[in-house]
Amino acid sequence: MDLGGYFTLIGFGPAGWGDQLLAAALMTLAVSASAFFASLAFGLVGAAAKLAPSALLRGLAEAYTTIFRGVPDLLVIYLFYFGGSQALSALGHLFGHAGFLGLNAFMVGTLAVGLVAGAYQTEVIRGAYFAIPPGEIEAARAVGMGRLLMLRRITGPRALRFALPGMGNVWQQVLKESALISVTGLAEILREIHIGAGSTHLPFDFYVTGFFLYLALTTLSGFLFRGAEAWTMRAERRPA
Amino acid sequence: MSLPHPLLRALAGAAALALLATPALAKEWTKVVIATEGAYAPYNLHAPDGKLIGFEIDLANDLCARVKLTCEFVAQDWDGIIPGLNAGKYDAIMDGMSITAKRLEVINFSRAYTRSPTTFAVEKTSPLAHMPDTGKRVSLDDKAATEAAIKELTPALKGKIIGVQIATIQADLLNTYFKGVVEIRTYKTTEEHDLDLAAGRVDAALASTSYFVSTLSKPGGDKLVLAGPLFTGGLLGQGTGVGLRKSDPELKELFDRAISEAIADGTIRTLSLKWFKTDISPPPSS
Repeated sequence: MDLGGYFTLIGFGPAGWGDQLLAAALMTLAVSASAFFASLAFGLVGAAAKLAPSALLRGLAEAYTTIFRGVPDLLVIYLFYFGGSQALSALGHLFGHAGFLGLNAFMVGTLAVGLVAGAYQTEVIRGAYFAIPPGEIEAARAVGMGRLLMLRRITGPRALRFALPGMGNVWQQVLKESALISVTGLAEILREIHIGAGSTHLPFDFYVTGFFLYLALTTLSGFLFRGAEAWTMRAERRPA
Repeated sequence: MSLPHPLLRALAGAAALALLATPALAKEWTKVVIATEGAYAPYNLHAPDGKLIGFEIDLANDLCARVKLTCEFVAQDWDGIIPGLNAGKYDAIMDGMSITAKRLEVINFSRAYTRSPTTFAVEKTSPLAHMPDTGKRVSLDDKAATEAAIKELTPALKGKIIGVQIATIQADLLNTYFKGVVEIRTYKTTEEHDLDLAAGRVDAALASTSYFVSTLSKPGGDKLVLAGPLFTGGLLGQGTGVGLRKSDPELKELFDRAISEAIADGTIRTLSLKWFKTDISPPPSS
């Protein structure tokens, strides 16, 4: 590989793909962040349902985590993107709408990856809740705290602190799985390097670039999560 | 090439039925949205600044001007490009897509705008470089000629590993005529079998000559050579055409007329020489 040529290729000059790749990296970040926040929402609801006294809620949450941890993410994306638009358009025809109805690629990606990651997030949050020493909850009850106050002051912050490492893992997973959204044509990193490789017949250069782009994103966000963990740990006793 | 997935094929069929079920009005076409992959040089590709360029982009602009259509391209991944057409996301596909009987079950095609034979690429130093019938045209519509060619090729190819892009007419050819003779290794993209050919992991790759012409012109391409017969017809289809919904016969008429004109006045030949460095325009009568 000729290095000078390589840097021209991925640089920001007129013959360079730099601006396209940068836009793609930002798209990957944007879709991953949306999917991660969606997974947090699904995970909170899922964990709350799993901890609920109602057997129906627990059963629904169990079904959710079993299904979405048990099928490939790519299938979920295909189902939502192609199957979803098919179903929506058919529904539209019933009501006299002639044209095409569909979800856009960004929404589908956010929803599909968010749902799958949400199933993992459910387990992370549920596990974190159980990691809270029971004595702390008993103490809160003993001083007469209600459920909401206890959630805000005791179980919420404590569970978050135990959940953070697991959430970091889910984030890494979401970041990597965002690559699967490339099948919908969304111009994120994988789709863009596929375009670059196909357009220039230089697959090695582009796939290596993609490799480093993902590695940079996961490494940087790894630092951020470790920083956050250290911050929530600041009051913990250190091992002697 | 066939559709990417049986489930998607089923969904596409369901969509086609749904569209046929609605009363078809003779539509006046003024604006057409065309889907393309944007990653299949030189048919369609992206320039470094993100602009779509390529043979099919130039051709579409010419065709649309001939029949006074405003044409707009959208980039779409190859997987699911046919279900997207039938779902109504866009009105036409121009993505180096071959006209095949299997695809004609689900969508319609304009007449062909290119016809490029299928052949093998091998390393110059490989014994396969002197495969029988190299450069000879073999039409798969001609049963006797096909059988003779397969019979001659079989001993040379016995036990060899052949790379081919998955779900393509080339993969169909291997599965139909060389199953059990060669080891077929499928790849998601043609670039990937080129890489493995260069790395020596496959003995030969099978693709269209128009594609290999660009492979040979790239770095490392000087170590490769085309070998074996030039296959056309039969399951390879009648060439590449514009993919259209079955419910849009008016649009097919417009594209057919424009393509016939562009073949007759040499426009397709000129564009083919510009992008492929070889003439892959179809014969006027086809």
